Amino acid sequence: MDSGQPLLIPLEASAQWDDQLVGGKASKLSQLAGAGFGVPRGFCLTTRAYQRFANNAAIGATIRMELGRKPMDDMRWEEIWDAALRIRATFLSQPLDGALRDAIAQGLAGLDPSAPLAVRSSAVGEDAAGRSFAGLHESIIGVHGRQAVEDAVRLVWASLWSDAALLYRKELGLDPANSRMAVLVQEMVAADRSGVAFARDPRDMRKEHALIESVPGPCSLLVDGLVDPDRWELDRKTRAVIAWLPGQRDDGQDDAPLLEARELEQILDTLLSLERLFGWSPDMEWARQADALSVLQARPITTGVPEADEKRAWYLSLRPGDKRLKALRRRVAEQLIPELESVGRAFAAEPLDLLDEQALADAIERRSTALAEWKKIYWDEFIPFAHGVRRLATYYNDAVQAEDPYEFVGLLRNQPLVATQRNRAIGELAAKLAADEALQSVLDRLLEECAGALRWPAFREALINKAEGAGDFLRDFDALKERFLDIAYDQERLYDQPEPLLRNIVELSRAPGRSGGDDASAGETVTALEQRLLDAVGTERRDEALEVIETGRISWKLRDDDNLLVARLESQLLRALDEAAQRLTAHGRLSADQRPNDAHAETLMRALREPSAGPIRLKPAGESDATASFRAPPGESPRQLIGQPASPGAATGRVRRVRGHGDLGAFRRGEVLVCDAIQPTMTHLVPLASAIVERRGGMLIHGAIIARELGIPCVNGVRHAVESLKDGDLVTVDGHLGIVTVGAAEFDLELGVRVLP
Amino acid sequence: MKQPDEPIFDEKDIDDAAGTTAAPAVRDRIQRLADQQPYAVLCVQGQGQPYGALVAFAFSPDLRHAVFVTPIATRKYRLLSECDQVALVIDNRPNKADELMEIEAVTVTGRSLLVERGAEFDEWAGLLIARHPYLKSFVQAATCALFRVDVARFLHVARFQEVSQWIPDSHS
Repeated sequence: MDSGQPLLIPLEASAQWDDQLVGGKASKLSQLAGAGFGVPRGFCLTTRAYQRFANNAAIGATIRMELGRKPMDDMRWEEIWDAALRIRATFLSQPLDGALRDAIAQGLAGLDPSAPLAVRSSAVGEDAAGRSFAGLHESIIGVHGRQAVEDAVRLVWASLWSDAALLYRKELGLDPANSRMAVLVQEMVAADRSGVAFARDPRDMRKEHALIESVPGPCSLLVDGLVDPDRWELDRKTRAVIAWLPGQRDDGQDDAPLLEARELEQILDTLLSLERLFGWSPDMEWARQADALSVLQARPITTGVPEADEKRAWYLSLRPGDKRLKALRRRVAEQLIPELESVGRAFAAEPLDLLDEQALADAIERRSTALAEWKKIYWDEFIPFAHGVRRLATYYNDAVQAEDPYEFVGLLRNQPLVATQRNRAIGELAAKLAADEALQSVLDRLLEECAGALRWPAFREALINKAEGAGDFLRDFDALKERFLDIAYDQERLYDQPEPLLRNIVELSRAPGRSGGDDASAGETVTALEQRLLDAVGTERRDEALEVIETGRISWKLRDDDNLLVARLESQLLRALDEAAQRLTAHGRLSADQRPNDAHAETLMRALREPSAGPIRLKPAGESDATASFRAPPGESPRQLIGQPASPGAATGRVRRVRGHGDLGAFRRGEVLVCDAIQPTMTHLVPLASAIVERRGGMLIHGAIIARELGIPCVNGVRHAVESLKDGDLVTVDGHLGIVTVGAAEFDLELGVRVLP
Repeated sequence: MKQPDEPIFDEKDIDDAAGTTAAPAVRDRIQRLADQQPYAVLCVQGQGQPYGALVAFAFSPDLRHAVFVTPIATRKYRLLSECDQVALVIDNRPNKADELMEIEAVTVTGRSLLVERGAEFDEWAGLLIARHPYLKSFVQAATCALFRVDVARFLHVARFQEVSQWIPDSHS
């Protein structure tokens, strides 16, 4: 880039410069200002300013490190979010040099010092005709003062690498060497009304119709989807209003339209003038203050091209603003979770064995329907609400600018998660067993003898007969089972499978003192971090910060709990299916070796409702794990596997893969837990593990959080982790660096290798 | 005359070069190469088995010391623990065979020393991080070890066969 190019250009002069220097947004607004349209005053920090900052701070290398950790197509959206968070933290941690600070000061000198400012992205090519990447980059409004502008500029620069932008990296042509972003700083209009307007109806561009949307107050309310707008359809030629649809707002509005006829005409005139000026039909953001109309943004209309990747579109919807988060918090915490708990309880209380065949079929249908409904709610509402934790992350990092972008996780400690309560109960039972050596030894021996084929009544009896304290122990164990094990994992009811948990408890009894995570020091951490955030935001934003913390905590807690509560519905469906299968087996209509899963609900219901029909067969479950087909080519074996350093520390141990419920009981203390993903249903194994390796990546997933709480090294996001490693492999898990080294620390040198002649 | 498939330099070259007095320009050329190239091949050995690995490095301003880090679960860490005699190869080779005469390479020999955490570690780590800021968390990770190489000599190779030696202490 030409070093003679300026770092800063006044907005009105930006159109004289190449789009490559000022970005599309600034260039168009500058053209509009030059043509006499009302455009808020401002300046453009050019792409050269971005490059100067990025080069000085070696940011390009950091971005390459983050994006090169593994093939990006293999990254889950959680990992992409993590990479974007670390990149963002790097941008925030680097100071602006003197020249950049001077340029910003110079720009601000030309603006009204009392006006709040909007700091917005003006990326090169972001609004090009035919494509729009609106919403991928950040805009920060209500910015006051030089320091806040500098912080906002760094955040907007960082959003060139936001999680959303990384998802669209191919379309954007994102490239650490060449991508850059200009930033637009403008005075904000104190709008009484604002909105979005389209010169043509984006749903049908052939129609001679224009669309205008308006909300009371600033345009961000509309763009962020927080306020429902009034909407008009206008004839472009006659200017007649074809339709008016009032917005649904509970702000005590009267029924009058937000815009009068002459105001609508003024907006339409502006749209048509823009169309003539640019030669394409614009989509315009506008604001009115008193009688003055300002154009905030103009870009070509993009006609709803269907998103090829539905998952990507769904992910982009997972970024609710603060108001929506608050509404979701109320709905999820106060309505949905209690409802889900109550549905699970009601199913558990139903005496299935007393029902006749028809009633049992009805019970299966109710459970199956409820499970499907709650799974939909899980995707539609629980997962978006989980954004509360990510919101806390960015809020904390923006305010505190912590060197470790995951410092905020300390604020989530000591939450009364259902899984934590269960793990504590398991830990207490293990501690009791540790204190009773005789019972421990008898239990150990009996488990050894039954070797995976435990028959519960006989086992109980044998235990009571052979060990004195067994009665108390079994009473506690039954209570634990009732309270926490009515969940399904891997299509099995854990309630019906006490053996793995008993084995885990025996193992835990030999590794005391590692069940917590909610000790006094955690409390101190929470208080200290809370204070750090409150100090950083100041008294004015104290309530806002407390609200973000609280939403983050509830979001985190419920994100874990909802998994277990949905797993309880699955468990209750399996219970009904098992009951049906037993009856059909007793009537000779189903072979005894056939085990039902939730895909068999329909078949079993039909069989129950048609008692005179013949025998049935249950379709075997298909291979569900897409990664199961991975096999290393012959002669290749992993030496170092790379993932994300998700919990610090290093440990060496033998691999134990947990691929399903059948592997749970085999886990021994000191082993390295290798799995696809640690589910809330299996977090009680973590205290036994010396380290954790997961295929699923993310710093905020269950396994990573619990590993950090317990101080166990964890590397996640390891491609083909389960397939690449074998049970018994010796591995060193380096949770500082995100490396899993396969083989002994003492390596065999090549001395013994036969050299072919 | 060497055949093209022979190594660019070997023991004989080193012997030849050992007796020569390098012009001061060699130091500058070494400095320039060390400044241009961020990565070097680290050569270590153990029980007679040589082993090479790429490392990010930095030199002290006087070129008497080089510094690099390695995770402790690696083969090179194990071998460094066993034998402190090491070499670093730094070169600017292109990907095209016909540019042989433009290649410059330097072989650095010396002894490696594990630097314990503390003020000295911070100083050497700072040197490395200043050169490779994106490696900050790697350098500071508890499972990484930082080694300082006390340079014995530099052997600079240019134009395929032209080898010069420079010993930092001899010019101090």
